[in-house]
Amino acid sequence: MAEANSIRVRLVTPDKIFIDGTADSVSLPSSSGYFEVLYGHAPLLAELGAGEVTLHGGDVGDQQFFVAWGFVEVLPDRVTILAESAVRPNEINVADARQQLQYGQQLWNEAGEESRRYAEANRVIHEAEQRIASAEGAGQST
Amino acid sequence: MANVLDLRRRIRSVKNTRQITKAMKMVSAAKLRRAQERAFAARPYARMLASVLDSLVRRVDIYEPETGEDKHPLLAVRPEKHATVVVVTGDKGFAGAFNTNVLKAAHRFLNDRADVELDLEIVGRKGRDILRRSYATASIAEDRELEHGTAPRTRKARIEIVGEHAGMFEHLTFEKAAHLAHTLVERYIAQETDAVYLVFNEFQSVMTQRVVVDRILPIKEVGKQDIASAIEMEQEEREEMAKAARSSGVSLETEDTREADEEASKFGTAQVDYIYEQPPRQLLDGLLPRYVATELYHAMLESVAAEHAARMTAMDSATNNASDMIDAYTLTMNRVRQAAITKEIIEIVSGAAAL
Repeated sequence: MAEANSIRVRLVTPDKIFIDGTADSVSLPSSSGYFEVLYGHAPLLAELGAGEVTLHGGDVGDQQFFVAWGFVEVLPDRVTILAESAVRPNEINVADARQQLQYGQQLWNEAGEESRRYAEANRVIHEAEQRIASAEGAGQST
Repeated sequence: MANVLDLRRRIRSVKNTRQITKAMKMVSAAKLRRAQERAFAARPYARMLASVLDSLVRRVDIYEPETGEDKHPLLAVRPEKHATVVVVTGDKGFAGAFNTNVLKAAHRFLNDRADVELDLEIVGRKGRDILRRSYATASIAEDRELEHGTAPRTRKARIEIVGEHAGMFEHLTFEKAAHLAHTLVERYIAQETDAVYLVFNEFQSVMTQRVVVDRILPIKEVGKQDIASAIEMEQEEREEMAKAARSSGVSLETEDTREADEEASKFGTAQVDYIYEQPPRQLLDGLLPRYVATELYHAMLESVAAEHAARMTAMDSATNNASDMIDAYTLTMNRVRQAAITKEIIEIVSGAAAL
């Protein structure tokens, strides 16, 4: 293990353990807004929405990952992230994201009176927008 | 008796076949190794999801004050009047009894439940081709996926095929499994079906495989399989499997995963009071469908590994059979040739004697 005040971070996807390392702090996109975790954080369980997981000052420097849906367990010395999918922002397929955005808008238009379908459409749109924003942040031309 | 030339041709042809089966065996062995690794790499996620869900279900009383219903719809057990069966077969043949075994188990299961209406979701091209012959395809309107819980559809028969997913294994991703799981979960929540069963070939290691019928919905106990029936491998098959694996360099032992498994099963279960960022009910809403998707994904990964193992074994015995055949033909050919030589000598000798 590294020095005392670093936390162990693991990002696990259905296919494999994506990263297993340490960091000074981690910022996470909870489904109700971003939050940051430092060493000694109180135990917490949270659902992650679409957004970027950022590791600051890790053993391999700063790292960013885009996750679409996830779940995180925070313990004082450890952060474990379960993510349905994780990619580095510069590997995001922008064309796909745009398509997803269109599909979301189409869902939104067709939703009619049902609130559940609106929620689903909004989720798809939000995810697509986050994805595009994340790709742009990484310097990808759109 | 056939002449030497014919036999020589036949031997050449069998040799060619042997070369092909041998190549297929080695390819299957390589694919099996990869499939095993994939199934292995997928385990931490599945374990973690199961353990966090388990602790969440146990710690939190989930009830809705107004209805008094104390459970999430996916945990609710209803009397079984209508069930959905997901049959996981392979896309390709030449895998010995692999597809037949799964289909046999499926048929038996379907016939056992004579008083239940059954819907079939078929994964894999082979299963589709065969099951289509015996069961009717449901007539489903195009936009039915969006209109749950409207009017029940008119059934043509007790057992109907509602979905076919051929070619899923060409490039198996979690999204594909999640998509199917989503459909199943929606149907369960809309009360269109009262149980979802999964028929697939379970693969723990080359030596430990069985065809199981696993109930994935309702979720009775998180992290445990709910096996309705299972067909174990026979000793003879097991030995053949082991022999094929050995001769193609696939290790029989599974990697030691206990440590990693134990680590993973601690996820979300520390003896502390967690702060729940979202209401537990919302966490459950997100987790339960994913749990179903993970189970499905896992079943598919195992099925892929089992398929490659079965193909490897089938090709190994085909190669052995070809070798036996070549030996037998070579023997006959030598005998025929010798017979011809002997005959010629007799002719010469008796010709000389007659002089």
